[in-house]
Amino acid sequence: MLKRQKTFWIFIYLALVVMGLFNLLPFYWMLSSSFKTEGEVSSYPATLFPQVWTLGAYSKIWFQEKFVYYFINSLIVSMTTATFSSLVGAFAAYGFSRFRFKGKTLTMTLFLASQMIPGVLLVGPYFKMLSLVGLYNTLLGLILSQITITLPFSIWMLKGYMDTVPVEIDQAAMVDGASRTRTFLMVVLPGILPGLVATIIFAFLLSWGDLLWALCLINAKAKQTLTLGITQLVGEFRTEWSTIMAATMIATMVPAVLYLLLQNFLIKGFTESAVKG
Amino acid sequence: MKIHDRYKGYIFILPAFLLLVGILGFPALAAILQSFNLMWVSKPSFTVSSYVNLMKDKEFLGTLLNTMIFVSVTVSFHLLIGMGVALLLNQEIKRRHLFRVIAILPWTMPDVIGGLIWKFIFDTLPGFVNAVLIRGKFLTEPIDFLGTPLLSFLCFIFAEVWRGYPFVMLILLAGLQAIPRQQYEAGAIDGASTIQNFFYITLPNLKYMVVIAVILDTIWECRLFGMVYSMTGGGPGYSSQVLSLLTYKHYFQFFNTPYAASIAVVLAVFMLIISIPYLRMTMRREI
Amino acid sequence: MKGGLKMVKRIYWVCLILMVLCLSLMGTVGRAQEVKISYSDWQLAQDIWGRSLREAIAEFERLNPGIKVEPEPVALAQRDVKFTTAIRAGSGPDVFALDVNPVKQYIKEGWVKDLTPFIEKEGGQQWLSDFYPRTLMPVTEDNKVFGVPKNTVAMVMVYNSQLFKEAGIKSTPKNWKEFRDVCKKLTKATKPGGPVDQWGVAFVLAKACFDLRFSVVLRGFGGDFLTPDWKQSALNTPEAKEAFNYVVDLILKDKVMPPGVAQVDCNEARRHLAFKRTAMKIGTMWSITEVSGFNPDLRGWEVLEMFPIPQKEGTKSKIHSTLYQKSIFMNPNTKHPEAAWKLIKFLTDKKQMEKWFVDNNMLSCRKSVNDTYGPILQSKYASVVKKEIEYADFLPLIPQWPECLEAFRVNLQAAIAKQKTPDQALKDAHEQINAILARK
Repeated sequence: MLKRQKTFWIFIYLALVVMGLFNLLPFYWMLSSSFKTEGEVSSYPATLFPQVWTLGAYSKIWFQEKFVYYFINSLIVSMTTATFSSLVGAFAAYGFSRFRFKGKTLTMTLFLASQMIPGVLLVGPYFKMLSLVGLYNTLLGLILSQITITLPFSIWMLKGYMDTVPVEIDQAAMVDGASRTRTFLMVVLPGILPGLVATIIFAFLLSWGDLLWALCLINAKAKQTLTLGITQLVGEFRTEWSTIMAATMIATMVPAVLYLLLQNFLIKGFTESAVKG
Repeated sequence: MKIHDRYKGYIFILPAFLLLVGILGFPALAAILQSFNLMWVSKPSFTVSSYVNLMKDKEFLGTLLNTMIFVSVTVSFHLLIGMGVALLLNQEIKRRHLFRVIAILPWTMPDVIGGLIWKFIFDTLPGFVNAVLIRGKFLTEPIDFLGTPLLSFLCFIFAEVWRGYPFVMLILLAGLQAIPRQQYEAGAIDGASTIQNFFYITLPNLKYMVVIAVILDTIWECRLFGMVYSMTGGGPGYSSQVLSLLTYKHYFQFFNTPYAASIAVVLAVFMLIISIPYLRMTMRREI
Repeated sequence: MKGGLKMVKRIYWVCLILMVLCLSLMGTVGRAQEVKISYSDWQLAQDIWGRSLREAIAEFERLNPGIKVEPEPVALAQRDVKFTTAIRAGSGPDVFALDVNPVKQYIKEGWVKDLTPFIEKEGGQQWLSDFYPRTLMPVTEDNKVFGVPKNTVAMVMVYNSQLFKEAGIKSTPKNWKEFRDVCKKLTKATKPGGPVDQWGVAFVLAKACFDLRFSVVLRGFGGDFLTPDWKQSALNTPEAKEAFNYVVDLILKDKVMPPGVAQVDCNEARRHLAFKRTAMKIGTMWSITEVSGFNPDLRGWEVLEMFPIPQKEGTKSKIHSTLYQKSIFMNPNTKHPEAAWKLIKFLTDKKQMEKWFVDNNMLSCRKSVNDTYGPILQSKYASVVKKEIEYADFLPLIPQWPECLEAFRVNLQAAIAKQKTPDQALKDAHEQINAILARK
């Protein structure tokens, strides 16, 4: 245990508080606006604290605007995308990290380059391809499309983490008789748990915040995602800020909770079992 | 063992490779074809006229400059703040998990929504910033943040710095957690100060992660669309416009398919050029 | 070690199950004996308009057993993105509605079906004669009709008569000089000693809805964006210059508009009027419904009135306002053109247009309806707007128009942000528009 002076800790906690304020300010604004009435939210100058508290915006979102469906859809799509992308990505990252083979540099660069084309131009061809295989207007089609966006980033991130685990550990495990796959799953993966969590969250958020794909690849209102639903609240007629803020609050709470869960369960759970095993 | 290894390598990357080529291959090709006026236009014929017109277009050149400034400033701040916060969170602080969750909160906002909220915050009449300024009696008239060219651009950069830094922070934090304790203990024995620790132990270990974070963040910021679309719409004029927004405009609002595609290709080339030095850095590490 | 492997296996199975779930969601394509067509409209996404449309659709299904219509609401800002992506790829809604803006583009790219054969069967020219000739212009190209007009309105000035009375304004302004004076009288602080919190007017300067609103000022001065043949920019005329400088002065010198005017879109303008921050706005029939919806306490139907767009004093220009029109189109990819045509015909017939007025306060494109329907004849708003249709015209109906308009708007914003002088901004707009028109 490294000893630190008191001033050090005071500085640390002060900095954390500043960070907290910086991060949370817009959320405070969002939260307080979601509890205001429409009239108050549009007033000038704006009120810093709601004068009249109301749950009207939230009830409108949940009951009137079918946001329950959007919520569930988003959850399904984003969780599947994140899991798949991290899993497939982890395999690929291990391949890039531990093996030498022809075309490795080229493939890696290609993976990254695939991210450089703006989504705007890709939606049309995606749409065509998906409708050809009958996946248009399905959550599965949306998941597949989103995986192609999250996968390259996931691979690069995971490879970076895996490279920090020395090859000797792999070799030690294999000398003990473990297969490559087993080594990968039991030794390397647990070794990069914080990085894995970061990647999963990252893929989840990419999928959670996607607009363009959900807009073009999903038609039925019941299958829409949460982010898409929120943008539709900003219509040509009647933008109600309190409603939008309420919906956004719900939308941003989920990833935060997910991160908390992953931190607690995945990392704690794995580290314990890894130590035991 | 070596020959087996080579095949094994291919097997590991196979699923990812298939997925990407299978789903991304056609659209990527389509994008390039469209820029040469060869696909999905009413009268296909090969021409580079879109590229030629691009070079003469003042708005395009201005937008290109904006994009370069935006990306470099944003990524730099992301790195600075992200590194700082990652170091903070790596300490043995109480309520670690709480602070970690707070730290990633800005990033949990989808960029389209984030743009909306920041627009609301900087809004002239019902906005938060102006409310504070006026109620605090600092000003009598509100500032038109989003209606003043330079201010609008700065607000947009600020909003994106706020929203995006947790990404870099997360990557760096995971990297920090992987640094073996022994190195710091060895440093303590040698009598190293905190600052020396940082430069001689922390930074070298993190170098690789920093490079990766910068590459990914740069590409991310170059593509960024949702935030600028809902926050400023590129305005006033095109003072806060970036290339991704311009592509969108030409594709979906003016229906200039070849023109939009050529802007996208330019953007892609731009991203490629920026990331090459960093790519080299990571490749050098390849044994 | 075992715990970790179990976790991975668990995750694997969860994924597999989720995939199966999703695949089964795919299988919701039912076996249809009946014909199913889809109708997409941005007004389906709104409260009142949407309800009205759904009632109309229900009536249609009742009269046409065997045809099922699937309503597909879409947000206005997302409409073209969604439609063009789908149609480009060979799919999309069977029937859909568009305002006038993108129509020429859709026609040029082949994204709407030629309806002339269907119209011939209905009686050709005779069937078309009930529509105002002007309303057929945007949907016709090369003598082929691609869409059927549903409703048209002209832009007028909507004002709060109560605020006018309080400010001692006796009559509505007829020319721009009077307009300026009225604006000045209305710009004040409602609380004595407080900051200015009431303004004369708020113009829309943001992208959304800019086209309809600003153009009336230009035309009110006798100018216009393009020459009558739509081949060149007309922004170098003295009238255009006067109009441009007038607006910039209203904002910067007279300060009769609320701060933050560069962001004001149609929603913001409605909110300003609804919460009495402004006394006027450029609007039309729907403004009454929408503004009242924002703030029922305003009692909009009582206090809101309309007057025609002011003109330059001493002149009497033929065109001083802009027309808005909504028309209905058929997707060239549709698999049920006959059923789709039936729906189009239904939505644009006399009875439906009358219902449209009752529900949404919107004028029809059919002469027979506008001239004979009771409620229209009695509405104080309809009488003003109907007369103005004679003096209004569409914005240029060319594919490059959206880009030209954007070039103009960007320069106007630059002038208001004091980045350029008004004259320089106008000159730049003029040159940019000519460059765009020369490109194609």
